[in-house]
Amino acid sequence: MIPKNIEKQLNILDYALSSLWRRRLKSLSVLLVFAAVIFLLASFQMVTQALTAKAKQLLVHTPEITLQQMSAGRQEAIALTYSHQLAEIFGIRKVVPRIWGYYFDEVRLANYTIIGMDLSEIPGNALLDTTLLSGTMPEKAEQGKVVVGQSITKSLELGGRLTFSLFRPDLSLKSFEISGEFAPDTDILSHDLIVMNLADARDLFSIPTGLATDLCVYVTNPQEIETIAKKISAALPGVRVLTRPQIQKTYQVVFGWRSGFGSICLLAALAAFAILAWDKASGLSPEEKREIAILKVLGWETGDILAVRFWESVSVSGLACLVGITAAYIHVVYFAASLFRPVLMGWSVLRPELQLLPRLAAGDILLILAFTVIPYLAATVIPAWRNATVPADAALGG
Amino acid sequence: MLIELCGVSKIYNQGRPNEVRALSDIDLVVEQGSMVCLKGPSGSGKSTLLAIIGCIFPPTSGRAAIATRQLARLPDRFLTLHRRETIGFIFQRFNILPELTVLDNITLPLLPLGIAPKERKRRAHELLERFAISHRAQFPAGQISGGELQRVAIARALINNQPIILADEPTAHLDTTLSREFMAIMQQLQVAGKTIVIASHDPLVFEHPAINRTINIKDGRIHVP
Repeated sequence: MIPKNIEKQLNILDYALSSLWRRRLKSLSVLLVFAAVIFLLASFQMVTQALTAKAKQLLVHTPEITLQQMSAGRQEAIALTYSHQLAEIFGIRKVVPRIWGYYFDEVRLANYTIIGMDLSEIPGNALLDTTLLSGTMPEKAEQGKVVVGQSITKSLELGGRLTFSLFRPDLSLKSFEISGEFAPDTDILSHDLIVMNLADARDLFSIPTGLATDLCVYVTNPQEIETIAKKISAALPGVRVLTRPQIQKTYQVVFGWRSGFGSICLLAALAAFAILAWDKASGLSPEEKREIAILKVLGWETGDILAVRFWESVSVSGLACLVGITAAYIHVVYFAASLFRPVLMGWSVLRPELQLLPRLAAGDILLILAFTVIPYLAATVIPAWRNATVPADAALGG
Repeated sequence: MLIELCGVSKIYNQGRPNEVRALSDIDLVVEQGSMVCLKGPSGSGKSTLLAIIGCIFPPTSGRAAIATRQLARLPDRFLTLHRRETIGFIFQRFNILPELTVLDNITLPLLPLGIAPKERKRRAHELLERFAISHRAQFPAGQISGGELQRVAIARALINNQPIILADEPTAHLDTTLSREFMAIMQQLQVAGKTIVIASHDPLVFEHPAINRTINIKDGRIHVP
């Protein structure tokens, strides 16, 4: 036996659904527009979450602390002699110089990221091999050997060749041989990346001996990263000290910022939709007014009529959420978020093609509901309050 | 007595420039099981009087009691609850929702009462059979004839077995045959013990032999010829 109050709500829900069916063309058009807005919002959220998670997973290979020389607020080459001062700080395991730069390929209008580093110097460097699809990382003594990201071989149009050349600043050519390729699942960081040893990078960019773009500091106990970073800051006041957690946070902020920008644009669309819904809900047609008056004379209370509008709105917005979120999942998984890739991923013409696994936590779903369903309910139910007070005697003759 | 009005007045928009006095000092008693006709031209106050009896709104002044309950100071919510239990309405043009099926139209008053679908259907089919329109149960109400529509409206007014039936200009848009048929059904209901109040200026109604009493209303007052 169902309690009367629940049976009453079921009856009203039944009436609300039949009412939506009676106005199916109008209901369907609202549903489609609403689902489209939710689809865009959910897609943004899913891609952002997937990218942030992916970046976090891959950034475990980055140095625990990175040091950069600053002058007049800008970065410049750092002296390798700092290693001696750093050696006095307790807790530092190893300091490895690195050259990190960008090479602009004028022919193909593409930017490549170049990292020059003697990888054999890195503690636990064997882990780096797990990021490779094939080949090995270049050894310190292997001159001219490089490991490249997925897009590089395509961009350089190498065909079956493994050798290519890049220009030094004086426009002389420097040749390289590909000794390995990064795995596709590291695409987010390695897509446009060329890794070589320190000497080759120094030669390519013509950086004098004794200088590097940054120093990578590896610590004995990762729990002490922040403490050691503070000690380095105190010992080397002109040096910028970046910790791995800070870099991870920066990636999150970058993706979050891009997603936030997109979301703000979408929220504007949502606001326009809510205004439209409000406008539609506040102006009742004579038929709708007559229906309300008839229901009131037949014993329906104002609250019952509001409940009809509430269930109509819940049904439309719930279904729109289901359709929108499902479509967003399909868009991200099967179509690799093709609508938003240019906005959310990469900044050069070489955009990663990695497969995204959408992540949508319960909190994200609640966030989407809060930004879509609640404004829609407010935009439809609040004006319905005014309309539900249509006097019952409107159903009577003069 | 089932309906008792004493010194009832109704003023719309009281205290505003567009104030309208619709009823003045109405005294009326309707005995249980009787059929009364409120007769008068358009704008005379018939529908306002029917609305007060029908608990749609309270009078501005005076005393109104329906089935022993005083209505004058009842808030809107209680008027609605009282209306559900006591009053069945039949409107001018019947006010049936044309997109709903005949069955759904008849069961409309039962939805906010929390009556289960099975029970709603049982009650509706009973009335559909009584008024010989069972075969139209699943038809959209907009697709049935005027006579059938009239019976649907009556069935809807009886679905909750209310003791009072109020009809507002029920024959205004019916031909003579359907008007006579309507009055015949009202007569059957009266015999079954219902109290019926009909607002009409149709001679087929107020001259019908089943009408126990005709009350003339003019300019918001009961007019004694």
